Amino acid sequence: MSAAVSAAVSAAGAVGAAAQVVLVAAGAPVLVGLMRQVRARLEGRAGAGFLQPWRDLRKLVRKEAITPDGTGPIFRTAPLVLAGTALVIAAVIPVATTASPLDGAADLFAVAALLALGTVALALAGLDTGTAFGGMGASREMTVMALVEPTILVSIFALSVPVGSTNLGAIVTSTLHEPQRVASPASVLAAVALAVVAIAETGRIPVDNPSTHLELTMIHEAMVLEYAGPDLALVEWASAMRLTILLGLVANLFAPWGIAGASPAMLPVALIAFAAKVAVLGGALAAGEVFMAKLRMFRVPELLAGSFVLALLAVAASYFLVAP
Amino acid sequence: MTLLLTAPIAAPALAAGAYAAFGWRRGTAWLGAVAAVALLAAAIALAVHAVDAPRTGLGGLLRADALSAFMLIVIGAVAVPATLAGPGHLAAERTAARDARRYGVLTQGFVAAMALAVLAASLGVLWVAIEATTILTAFLVGHRRTRNATEAAWKYVVICSTGIALAFLGIVLLHFAARHAHVPSSGSLDWTQLTARAAQLDAGVTRIAVALLILGFGAKAGLAPLHAWLPDAHGQAPAPVSALMSGVLLSVAFYAVLRVKVIADAALGAGPARTLLLTAGLASLAVAAALLLAQRDYKRMLAYSSIEHMGLLAVGAAIGTRLAVLAVLLHILGHGLAKSVAFLASGHIGRISGGSRIDAVRGLAARAPLVAGGFGAAVLALLGFPPFGPFASELGIFRAGFAAGLGWAAGIALVLLLLVMGALAARTGRMLLGAPPDAPGAAKLPAALPVRLPRADAAALVLGLLGCAAIGIGLGPLRTLLDHAATVLGAH
Amino acid sequence: MNHVLYVRLLDLACGAFLLAGVLVLWRRDLAAIVRLFAAQGVALGCLVAVLGVDAGDPEVVGLAVGIGLLRAVALPWLLRRAMTAGGAGRETDPRVNVAASLMVAALLALLAYAVTRPVVALDPAPAVRAVPVALTVVLIGFFVLVTRRRALSQVVGFLLVDNGITAVAFLTTSGVPLIVELGVSLDVLLAVLVLQVLTARMRAAFGDTDLDDLRELRD
Repeated sequence: MSAAVSAAVSAAGAVGAAAQVVLVAAGAPVLVGLMRQVRARLEGRAGAGFLQPWRDLRKLVRKEAITPDGTGPIFRTAPLVLAGTALVIAAVIPVATTASPLDGAADLFAVAALLALGTVALALAGLDTGTAFGGMGASREMTVMALVEPTILVSIFALSVPVGSTNLGAIVTSTLHEPQRVASPASVLAAVALAVVAIAETGRIPVDNPSTHLELTMIHEAMVLEYAGPDLALVEWASAMRLTILLGLVANLFAPWGIAGASPAMLPVALIAFAAKVAVLGGALAAGEVFMAKLRMFRVPELLAGSFVLALLAVAASYFLVAP
Repeated sequence: MTLLLTAPIAAPALAAGAYAAFGWRRGTAWLGAVAAVALLAAAIALAVHAVDAPRTGLGGLLRADALSAFMLIVIGAVAVPATLAGPGHLAAERTAARDARRYGVLTQGFVAAMALAVLAASLGVLWVAIEATTILTAFLVGHRRTRNATEAAWKYVVICSTGIALAFLGIVLLHFAARHAHVPSSGSLDWTQLTARAAQLDAGVTRIAVALLILGFGAKAGLAPLHAWLPDAHGQAPAPVSALMSGVLLSVAFYAVLRVKVIADAALGAGPARTLLLTAGLASLAVAAALLLAQRDYKRMLAYSSIEHMGLLAVGAAIGTRLAVLAVLLHILGHGLAKSVAFLASGHIGRISGGSRIDAVRGLAARAPLVAGGFGAAVLALLGFPPFGPFASELGIFRAGFAAGLGWAAGIALVLLLLVMGALAARTGRMLLGAPPDAPGAAKLPAALPVRLPRADAAALVLGLLGCAAIGIGLGPLRTLLDHAATVLGAH
Repeated sequence: MNHVLYVRLLDLACGAFLLAGVLVLWRRDLAAIVRLFAAQGVALGCLVAVLGVDAGDPEVVGLAVGIGLLRAVALPWLLRRAMTAGGAGRETDPRVNVAASLMVAALLALLAYAVTRPVVALDPAPAVRAVPVALTVVLIGFFVLVTRRRALSQVVGFLLVDNGITAVAFLTTSGVPLIVELGVSLDVLLAVLVLQVLTARMRAAFGDTDLDDLRELRD
């Protein structure tokens, strides 16, 4: 009996995990399209429609694969690593279900390490091209990452202190059971910190501007400047997935309502809820970008240091202040 | 009893009110001195009444024991010469009527706040009174409104207010410890209650509180490491105010340190407070010695000498035997009188030489014998020469140090003291002795013409020096008061 | 008030109190710094009010209103007046850059936690457990005081120290005796008034309020 139940649970979990990978993989370019559309409308333009990123990807995939002279295997494997890590994260973190069979891997540290792996791969590829832009982009990206990674770790750690586990699924489940915990100072501080780093990590304004190719300001775009054809498509797609994952993580850690437990019946609801939450966050982010100027490069460490401090204070607060 | 207890506060407070109402004019100019004499008289009366048993008044808010009475006498004894010199100073500086009125209100308010500080029965009220002295003296330091005076006033307010904020944090923590030791809410900052229950105070919290209190009140007493405001403020304030600040304000803050030490010793044993005070005291002596060696401004020189004497007091308090405590108390009085005379004389020197640079003053003895004599005698007293009071008290502190097994500390203090002595004596000698200068800068003052002092100013110098010499020769009835005050401080 | 709600409100007020303190380090704009200080005053007032309502002590609630008025209205008003009287509106060049000061703030939080261990050990009630938060604000205030060059930033640093100490007082024992609290508030108000006047004089004498100009008096 119990074996049957656990088999059913794990089957439901497997279906859930597969569904969330598909949702993230298919939905990420749509999210990017949505954000561009919001920006376009706010700026008084008609916009290209939600599906434009998909059309771009299709166009790029059909082109011939070209690599610059003198680049090695790192340059060619980096997009695969980036996309691969993004897909693995999409499978393990609680996007739509907390009962993923890979739940054991959904540890805070594992997820942060996977995110870092993708970033490092791309930065190495940027260095591998040997061009000035690639190197500059890589060095800036590493500066940002040196502050972003600890902040992600520390702020999620602050959330994990009251739960007593660093498993993301467990954190989400516990928030689901005790919704008032979202209003605690530790949680609020961590939310702000995580939001800032999510923006920085995915290369959005005010840290980076994803639509610029101006050499003084770009970070992410500088690294991928030498990619073309299917490789570029892979990088773009993976970047969109990373954005989706981070926004989803923020959404589900602080507003986990609608997420499915073990029951397969809840799964469609959970997927729709997730899509809606991410769409709202993405839309808000895009709207914010319209009204915000990009920070000067030397102010960026300040912003990220600030978010790190907030994360650290969140941990401090979760230890200092007793939970009721 | 309440009347006698409030009199020392009320007298200067009333004078301040009168200045506020009527301004600084012929009829009111000497009111400050009258109030100071009244304060001294009330202090002596209180000393007679409270010498063997503490008296409380005003609903338990005020309390006078032997120590409070002694501190009141110190305040009165320094306030009398300082207020006597006030009218002369303002007249010589040609102060505008508005500024003179403010000077009157603020100096009298300042004296009243100091009287309240030593009469307060609770650590909290003591804190409020000491912070009030900072606020009241801020504009006195910045009285001349020059660039330097404004700078000194700013540093003074910022450093002292934040320093003393530390002391308030200490008070808050001590209050917390006291409430957990079941001291009733009404008297939880009253030091007789705190001392009585000291054994029940939580050691960990009390240790933090004591460290903060000594550091915070030490800032106001001019002890290192928060001493940076002192030379600037004392150098820039008008001479009578410098005399009050250096002569008593520092001692009143040090009185708070002494009160805290009683509680600390009862709660934690002698160790922690002794370590803190020794460190602060020796550091202050070292700072004073180092900066006196290259000093070119005689008002700042006197200010550093104050840091030195406060350091010496801290070392004496750290030693803590009966002899040491008696010597510390005597030194407070002796230093107060000598330093106030020195600052008052420095005001006159400033008017003669047109600045406060040591180089600008030569052969003062020939031109202004009384001022030079007063300054020289006061500096000799500060250096610890007999027959003045500081000779006896410094001797007492060092003897107590060697007897209490703190010979190393007393030895270091002695070496630093000798350095200070050398620096101070050399500079003072250069200022007072030799032929009057013929430099062009001094030409506008006819060198041959001897400088005459107003009678009140001369009286202030002579009175202060006489007092300082008297306590060096014999204590008389003061001896009993000092004995009881030392008992209040827990020295047996 | 039930216990869970009390602790939650207490935690929220403490969090807002701390956050406002940290953000002061982050901002360069003096007007924003004053706004943050006012926000911190509101948080402090709420904190005291929560403690007072929980203890059922009308005196403490009254004090909360007084503290809120003093620190969220009166003092910011004074600061704003000092600011509009002239002078540059920005902390141009703090002695320690902003990113580093934020890192220092994190270290100060840990230091505060370490130092207050005996305090928390004596009485581990929810309010006392929050004392490290208040002490962190005190330390941040000192840091602002030491590292900022504008006169107004230094005053805000001093006031942060004072806010922190008031918070410690109320978190540990629902405040020191009333007369002392009144005296302290009056002293703070007067100190700020004095500093405001001195700022005006400094501007008249130096033409600026950059405290690096204060270097005439030295040995």
